[in-house]
Parts: sequence; structure tokens; C-alpha cells
Amino acid sequence: MNAILTVENLFKQFPIAGSKQVVQAINDVSFSIQPGETLGLVGESGSGKTTVGRCIIGLLEPSAGTIHFHGKLISDRRGSRRGLAGKIQFVFQEPAESLDPRMKIGQSISEPLLPMKLDRTTRERKTLEAIRLVRLDPDLLDDYPSELSAGQQQRVGIARAMVTQPELVVLDEPTSALDPTARAEIIDLLQRIQAERNTAYLFISHDLSTVRFISHRVAVMYLGMIVEQGDAADVFNRPHHPYASGLLSSVLLPHPHLKIESSVSLKGEIPSPINLPKGCFLASRCPFVIDRCRTEMPPMSIVGDGHFVYCFRHEDVAASVPASDTFNVFMREAERILGRRTSTGLPIQIHSN
Amino acid sequence: MAETSAAPLIAIMDLHVDFPGANESKEVLKGVSLTVQPGEILGLVGESGAGKTTLARSILGVPPTSGRIAAGKVIFEDRNILDLPEPELRKLRGSRLSIVVPNPRAELNPTMTVGKQIAAMARIHLGVDRAEATRLALAILRDVHIPDPRRRMNAYPHELSGGMAQRVVIAMALICDPAFIISDDATSGLDVTVQAQILSLLGGLAADHGSAMLFITRDIGIAAHFCDRVAVMYSGEIMELASRENLFLRPAHPYTLMLLAAFSHSPKLRDAWSVPETGVRQTQKEGCSYSSRCPIAQPVCSERRPPFVEIRPGHFARCHFPVSHE
Amino acid sequence: MRVLTYLTHRLLFVIPQLLGIILVSFLLVKSVPGDPAVLMLGPTATPAAIASLREALGLDQPLYIQFFIYVKNLLHGDLGTSWQTTRPVLDDLIQRFPATLELVTLSLLVAIGVGVTLGLYAAKRPNGWVARLADLYGLSVGALPDFWFALVLIFVFYTLLGWAPAPLGRLDMIVIPPPSVTGAYTIDTLLAGDLQAFGSALSHLALPVLTLGLLNAGPILKMTQSTMEKMLESDFSRYEVLSGIPQKLVVRHALRNALPSIVTIISVLYGFLIGGAVLVEIVFSWGGAGQYAVQGVLNSDIYPVLGFVLFSAIFSLIVYIVVDLIYVLLDPRISN
Repeated sequence: MNAILTVENLFKQFPIAGSKQVVQAINDVSFSIQPGETLGLVGESGSGKTTVGRCIIGLLEPSAGTIHFHGKLISDRRGSRRGLAGKIQFVFQEPAESLDPRMKIGQSISEPLLPMKLDRTTRERKTLEAIRLVRLDPDLLDDYPSELSAGQQQRVGIARAMVTQPELVVLDEPTSALDPTARAEIIDLLQRIQAERNTAYLFISHDLSTVRFISHRVAVMYLGMIVEQGDAADVFNRPHHPYASGLLSSVLLPHPHLKIESSVSLKGEIPSPINLPKGCFLASRCPFVIDRCRTEMPPMSIVGDGHFVYCFRHEDVAASVPASDTFNVFMREAERILGRRTSTGLPIQIHSN
Repeated sequence: MAETSAAPLIAIMDLHVDFPGANESKEVLKGVSLTVQPGEILGLVGESGAGKTTLARSILGVPPTSGRIAAGKVIFEDRNILDLPEPELRKLRGSRLSIVVPNPRAELNPTMTVGKQIAAMARIHLGVDRAEATRLALAILRDVHIPDPRRRMNAYPHELSGGMAQRVVIAMALICDPAFIISDDATSGLDVTVQAQILSLLGGLAADHGSAMLFITRDIGIAAHFCDRVAVMYSGEIMELASRENLFLRPAHPYTLMLLAAFSHSPKLRDAWSVPETGVRQTQKEGCSYSSRCPIAQPVCSERRPPFVEIRPGHFARCHFPVSHE
Repeated sequence: MRVLTYLTHRLLFVIPQLLGIILVSFLLVKSVPGDPAVLMLGPTATPAAIASLREALGLDQPLYIQFFIYVKNLLHGDLGTSWQTTRPVLDDLIQRFPATLELVTLSLLVAIGVGVTLGLYAAKRPNGWVARLADLYGLSVGALPDFWFALVLIFVFYTLLGWAPAPLGRLDMIVIPPPSVTGAYTIDTLLAGDLQAFGSALSHLALPVLTLGLLNAGPILKMTQSTMEKMLESDFSRYEVLSGIPQKLVVRHALRNALPSIVTIISVLYGFLIGGAVLVEIVFSWGGAGQYAVQGVLNSDIYPVLGFVLFSAIFSLIVYIVVDLIYVLLDPRISN
């Protein structure tokens, strides 16, 4: 039970220029990540999930709360990060924007190695390892980003993150800008790397089916708070929080007969994070709302092994629909429909004209 | 739903669109043919670069910058609208044929309030006066469930959230009660709960007004639940066209199968239906444009362009070896 | 309301801006070689006479004291005296500045009329003959010196055709100037009801206005053309086309978005022409402020120079504030 990353009671506020108000981006977030585990952080715009990622890698300083890496505090002053030496890395959403268009791929990948004061041969060796790890041709090291496809650019982004052999990689929507085929390849790649190197991931995304597939555990965020947290299968098969349930009901799987059942369909828009309501943040949109929700913030309830939820009526939410593993059902259906290859590589029956 | 013999509302026939470049012209649409029946929602799925936006805009006669409609017809209300002089075509656009665009905040005029822009549509196409146009604009804003519409009328596009701006663009497309709506990637970039609301809104409004829709998207999951029939586009051609039942439960074209495999997240299935990326994008001159990426390609595939065959009623695939599910 | 707060904000900054401008001009003018005392007394002056004149003029004081005295006098409305005209600089400028202003304003109006119209037309039809003509016009006009162009116009319209009056100032010799209200003859003659003087003022304005107007239409045309082309290609213009909005409206909406850039270049030209019209002023013996300042520079007569700098600086600052206000009104995104 030696978590590599522990986040406790994290808060982050951004002041608004020209006014006394603040944007409350993160409101009391706590979670931990075990070695080799993927924690999926899901939420919509305004949920604060990107801000959490940035606090963890040190781009932002938290307003309150602590972040510990292997038990050592890394969230207070800049100096405390020096011992990290590339153990925590980051992959961005837009591959084209995160790579310097005037730097060759090889230079981009070896950039994180620069503060580590290694000699050139070692840097080159590590860069070569990294680009092989992401299954790209080493010849590409001399190319510029504009010569690569979006999928290849994102692989470069991952190579750059992996070159320092990190223990934890924070990925912020790494596949949202990609086409479905490239997306699937990147996810594949990430899983392979995790199996080989036991890297832990904090996978930040709004794409629930991808998160379901790649995460061991998942945390659902709404307006800067984690409303439900637990094993991915537990949370997705039977959500206990109305927001988690509503989110899942909007996922559309490419199968006309399969729909994720939910008693929650969320209306309206996400309220502004500047004037957060008293009580539960979802109260204005929640079909399960009772008077208590508007005045009191629900405490944490434990509903299973490592499964927490913040809702007064979580039992009603969980009971309102039967547990169902729709994602897995879809996988099996997909295998049935698409899995028609024999060992020789040809489909079993072909119509030819 | 099989291909009925009822007259289609709009028929796109063999549309060719190219982009004349400095050295050679690039053909983006290579002979696209589609029909949309009255009241139906036809989905169009494909990846980026397939030509979906080019198709959406070319149907209205406005291909993207530097594009040129080289050949083809768009038959609507018994005439080829591409042959019409520009002022005639302008009268149709926005009133009988309208489009919902993605990235609404970039597409709306930044120096005019949204109310004025919506009202302008009514004034120009319906010929009503300013007061009546404002009233219609307010009514349509209510229909698209914009909260507090009176205040929002006076907002500028940059003051609205993505979801709000998308609703404004939908309002503009619907205010004149069009017969045919093209929705070009109208929900990408939106939060998934907002997307669900927009989809139900679009579907409901289309049904209420009796309009037909061409729903273009990169997310095949939406197509599976929202559209009556679905067309799959690759490299400027329609590769498969079927009812949603048939397309998702009995897909025939290898590209469709590859898309579904990618969405299933199963590495086994993906390996089965794709060819390892060589890193070089080859343009197929002869034969099937998909053959270089097709795992079941045979020599004939790089020699002869496959015909668009009907493999069961209403289900077409452009393939020499469509996959069977019998 | 946001307009008012914006205005007060800007006006607060005007004082330090002006101070800075005056300081820099003062230092620059003082660094020009040439001893005013020597120039005033002539080549036969004795060193003693020169020394005593220098002392009288305060030229023997350290620079910062001279500057102090100058600013102190400014606050009392005393801009110093020109030793050439022997009159207070303030009086000289009050007489000459309106002449330049009248000339420059009318020229700018002509420039805007020609430049914006041609630019719009060229942008609407990028391959038409107007666009090609406009390109040629924009290029050649930048290469032509204004005084040369003025002389050509004088030659054609006065010497050859006899349509224009002699280039000897703002009015015919026999016409009496109207009582001075604004200093601009076109306005003052109308206010006095003197139509004959009005006609005379207008005919004398024709050639210099044509010169400055046609030449400065070039940059305005180029800016209008390029900005409008960009606007007509933008996403929102294409969306309007897709929505069936008629072309006239599309162009009008695009123009609204293009105005900030066009207004900017007009304001820059305006500020520039106050001093930049000097060569044309000289050719037409206009008696304007630019001429006055140039004479001051040539004769080390610093007060006219500094006075002119002050006037044109204040004028430019006012123009820029007005332009910024126009921006705030045109573009709703700016006020945030």
C-alpha cells in the first residue's frame, strides 16, 4: 500500500483581474495512485481536472492542501521538486501545439534530459530507446513535427515523456484531438508501456469509453470536487452519484441496441465556478435533490472496497437502475460482429463479385 | 429501412470537388452520390480528411476556400441548384436549405449581437419587418432552450459558452423552417452532457418541423443512435451506405469494420482489421482508394475501382469483397 | 458608461505623455549645432556682444535649468518668442496652425474617399481591372515625392490649362481675409457670408488638396483592400454566405470588422501630415505651421520648433484618443 502519489485536500483558486472574486477551480480533492496503476480523472469543462494535473506536475501551485510523491512533499515551494528528476511527466492534448515546430523530433524528445546533466552519448541512447518504445522509425528523429501525422506527433509526445523513465505520467486528454484509429493506437501503446515499465498514469479525459478501457480506478469530478471514486468497473457498472450516472447516460456506444441505463438525464448548464452554491454543487440540476442538498455539503460515504461517493441519496441512485457492464457487453458484441478472421488472416466468408 | 422508391427530398449526384493547386489539383470529392428522404436523418461518418466538410459546403454551392465544384448535380425541388445563378441560390440557403456549423464562436460575426444575427435571417429570407423578426428570433431561442433568451439576445458571440453558441447557430439554421438541414460536426468540442441535450434538441426540432437532416460526425457512436441511415466516407468516396441496424450489426466494408474495431478498444480486433502504419500516406491512383490500408486487399483492388453494390436491400458497399454476416 | 471611464483613464495619461515629448524635443533641438546668438547678431558681431546676448537669452544656463524655465513659461501660456518674426510663438502658431489643419483635413477626406472606395471595390473583385489598377496606384503613389507631384499639377492646371489660380497662398491677392473665428478660411468665409472669398479659398485649396489627397490615398487603399480581403475570407463571412445573406450585407458586415485597421492608418496619416505637409506648403506658399517650424530649424530658432512640436503632439494625442474611443464603440470585445 505504498502509493507513489498522494493528494490530500487540494484547493486551487484563481483571482479574477479587476475584481475581488475568485474562480474556485479545485475544491478539496484527495486521491492516491499506486505504482503501475491508471487512475482515470473524468469530468466536463469547469470540473478542474486539468488544473489538478497541472498542480501535480508543478505548473501551478496549490492554494491549499498537499501533494506527496513517495511520501515526500512536493507541493510547497519550487525547490522541493528538484529531487524529482523527471519521475513525473506530462503528455499534452494537442500534439501539434506541444511540439516546437522549429525543433527536430530528436531534439524535442531529448529536451527533458537536459537538466539531468548527462553526456551526449547517454542522451542519444535514451532518445533512441524512447522512440523505439513508441514504435516509430528512428529515421524520424531528424524530421520536423509538421512532417508527421497527428498520431505520430502524439507518439513523439509520449516518447518525450518516457525518455526520463518516469514513474508517473500525467496525460491531459491525450487522444481527444485524434481520429478514432490513431486514438486506439495511442491507447494500445500506453497500455503496452505500462505493462513493460510499470508506469502509473493519471489519465485525464472526458471520453468515458476510453477511460473505462484503460483505467483501473476512476474519479469523477464536478466543479472542482471528486463526487465519486472507485474501481472503474464498480463506478461505471453501478454509479452511486447522480452526476456520474448522468455522465454515463450520455455515452453513446456504436451499437444501436446498447444504451447505458440511467435514471438521470442532466439538464441545463454547469454553473459558474465563481459563485459556488452552498451545499451540493449539483443541487440545481439533480433529479434526486432534496432540501438538505441545497444547504449541506454531503459527507463522504463508503459504498464498497475503495469506492467513495459524496451524496445523501447515493443508495437511491444505485438502486434506480440495475448494475450492468454495458461496456463489456459492447466489447463482446464487437468481437462477435467483427471477429471473423481465421488464422490465415482471411475472413471466414467473403462475398465476391 | 430499405431504399424506398419515394422521391428523395434532395439528391446529390456524382459530386466531384477539387482544389486546384500550383502544380496539380487535389481531388477531394471523387464522385459522391447520396439521397435523403423527407423526414429522415442520414448520418455521414468518416475521419478527418475524408471530405465531409467539403461535401457539406459543396451541397450548398460554397466549397471551402480555393475549392471548385468540377462536376455533379444537387437536385432539390426538381432542379439542379448548382446551376442556379448565385442570387437565386442565396435565397435558398438559410431558408430552405440550412447548415449548422461547428466552432460557432468563430463563425458568428464578432461585432453583432446574436439577436441581430438571428433576426437578420428572418428579415432577409422571410421578408418580415424588424419587430416581427425580433419576435421570431425570441421564439426560436426559446425553442432551443436558451435560458433567459431576452437577455441573451443582446449578447455578443464571445460572451457565450460553447453550448450556448451552438444553440444560437442551430436557431439560425431553423428559424426559417428549412426542408433540409446539414449538421456539420455540430457537437464536437461540446461537453458530453451538453452534446446529449443538443442531439435531443436537434432530433426533436427536425421531427416537429418535418425536416430532413444530413448529420455529419466523426463519432460513430452518435450515428448509431441518432441516425436512420448511415453513410461511411473515406478519401472523398462513399464506401458504405446502410440502415443503422445493418451498418453496425452487419458491416460490410473493411473500413467500416476498422472504425468499429477502433471504437471497441480491443487490440485483437484492431489488429484484425488494420494494416500496420507505414508512416507514408500513399495516394491510390488506380483501383480502390482504401486498398493500401485494407487487410483483405487482393490484387484486383489496386487495379479496378470497386462498384457500389447492393448486398442486401438498402445496403450498399463499394468493395470487391464485402464482408458477409450470413 | 464604459466610454466615460475609458476617456478619463486616457486623459490622465496625456500630461505625462506630453511632458515626455517636450523633454525629448527640447534635448534634440538643443543638440543641433548652431548658436542662435551668432545667427541673430550676424557675422560682424564681437565675442562680447555674443556673450551678453547669450546671457540675456539664458543660453549660458545649464540645460536642465533652461528646460525648467521653458516648462514654467509654458504653464503660463508663454511659448517663447521667435526671433525671426519677433512675435510670440503662440500668436504665430494660432495664425498658422489652422491653415495647415484645414489643408490636411480636406486632403485626408479626399484620400479617404478615393482610398476606401477603390480599396472596397478591389477587395470585392480581386481579379478585376479595378484591383489591378489599385495595385499599380498603391505602388506608384508611394514612390512619388509630393512636391514634385504638386509642381506637375501646377504645370498642368495653372500654366497649361489656366484653370487653377496662381500658387501664391490661400486667397487671391485682392480678396480680404474674413474675420478669424476658426482660422480655416472655408469655414470663416461662410460664417461671414462672403461667398466671393469662399470661392477664392476653395480654388486655392484645390491643387494642394488634390496633391496630398491623391498621394495619401495609396496607403489607405492598400490597407482597406488587404483588410477587406481578409474579412471576406474569414469564417464568419463564409458562414453568412452559407446562410444565404446577400452579398451587399456580407460586405457591409465585413467592413465593420475591417474598420479598426482602416481607422488606425487614417489616424497615423493625420498625425503625420501635420508636419509632413510642409513641402506642399512651401510649394504653394501656404503660410502653414510646418513651414514655420522648418524655418525655425534652419535658423536655430528653437521656440517655434518646440511650439510646433507641442501643438502637433497635442493634436496627435487627441486624434489617437478619438480613434481608441471609436474602437471601443466598434468592437465589443475590447471593453472587457
